[in-house]
Amino acid sequence: MVKDRLIFTLLYGDGVFNLSRNFSLQRVGDLGWVRENYEFNSIARSIDELVVLDVSRDERRIDNLAGQVEQLAQSCFMPIAAGGGIRTVDDAHRLFRAGADKVVLNTALFSDTALVAELSRTFGAQSIVASIDFRLEADGVRRVFAANGGKDTGMTLEAALGHVDSLDIGEVFLTSINNDGTGNGFDLDALRIGAGHCRVPIIASGGAGNYVHLMEALQVEGIKAASTANLFNFMGNGIQEARELMRQSGVPLCMWVESQ
Amino acid sequence: MSVAIVNYGMGNLRSVQNAFAALGERGEIVDDPQAIAASKRVVLPGVGSFARAMENIRRRKLDAAIREAVDAGGALLGICLGMQLLASEGDEDGPSAGLDLVPGRVVRMQPSEGIKIPHIGFNALSSRGGHGGLFDGLEADSDFYFLHSFRFVARDATSVIGTSDYGGEFVCAIRHRNVVGVQFHPEKSQSNGLKLLRNFLDRF
Repeated sequence: MVKDRLIFTLLYGDGVFNLSRNFSLQRVGDLGWVRENYEFNSIARSIDELVVLDVSRDERRIDNLAGQVEQLAQSCFMPIAAGGGIRTVDDAHRLFRAGADKVVLNTALFSDTALVAELSRTFGAQSIVASIDFRLEADGVRRVFAANGGKDTGMTLEAALGHVDSLDIGEVFLTSINNDGTGNGFDLDALRIGAGHCRVPIIASGGAGNYVHLMEALQVEGIKAASTANLFNFMGNGIQEARELMRQSGVPLCMWVESQ
Repeated sequence: MSVAIVNYGMGNLRSVQNAFAALGERGEIVDDPQAIAASKRVVLPGVGSFARAMENIRRRKLDAAIREAVDAGGALLGICLGMQLLASEGDEDGPSAGLDLVPGRVVRMQPSEGIKIPHIGFNALSSRGGHGGLFDGLEADSDFYFLHSFRFVARDATSVIGTSDYGGEFVCAIRHRNVVGVQFHPEKSQSNGLKLLRNFLDRF
């Protein structure tokens, strides 16, 4: 049977890769810097999938993101999902040509469902990832935001999940803005809501600080994929170690032969 | 050693090329029938529909070129749709003839309780004998990345060199002499996939 997935998410924005906390960005450096100082190649050898998101606060240009994907694809031998700023079918084409296997949509899910349908017809629903960012507010309601968390969609988490599940998409990338970058663990209640409201697979995102958090997400009924964007906590062989500890604890993750 | 990666206008050829580059080998993306016919190592990748792929291949006269390369002793590796195209015929988008290099038919996978189609993700390969070294150095139940909605039904059981389980056993690797095919994507299967590609170069 299909294994669970451990996913790493790289946040590209305004020319460099970033760490994010509650969607506030902290610049890290270019790909060379990330390779050298966070041993990204080691991270890349220990993940089931790579997500690359353009979270630029200034103008987003699809060619910049495609350029990053193209470089990453030269040394990343796992499925790659890329997105952030996709506004046209041609934008998606550029990312696929650069080496992406899937595209990630966010704002378009709420403002341009015709584009979502067209992308799905062109590339297949399985290659469309719907990214939902939500914030748990003081009144206990989870509200969904678009445009890097900057724009209230007017939808609750439940409504947004129902909405994207009615579109022709392959999976949902579900991020807690409150937990993002805290290293305190996932919003497990939100994951339960997600699994309950969607037919498609959910990728848990936002909050992982260690392997126990990743395991907690994967122990939620119906959740089979967990992502971290936390370069700092999982740098070097951090992901590899997390993988091994999770496997020893019975999480069905795959194993790869030692790289030559 | 250079590898000819057949370009028939479908699929992500660059990722296959990148994987060979990581092994220190040059993968050349080619659509010239003569260059393919003369190649000692040919890779047939592909994403998309069987019928459309065969139409593209025939229009570009690549079917004869691939056959010529194989008849001259060259090794051929089909990946994903490229593996399915090795069959005698396929059902996708209406019945159509395949390259007929490994006798068999490609049929749609059926969804069932908890089994969604397409089959997508890392899943284990159970290898059988007769793989000619393709799986050398890989552990039993090694995981590979799959993304497909159709499966290969081999006419001759001896051509099956690997199976996988998704709502039941299905064929995920086939071989007929110097022709091999894998349903999964070695170029997306981390070190397991790179090892398999290395074996293809070294053992075939």
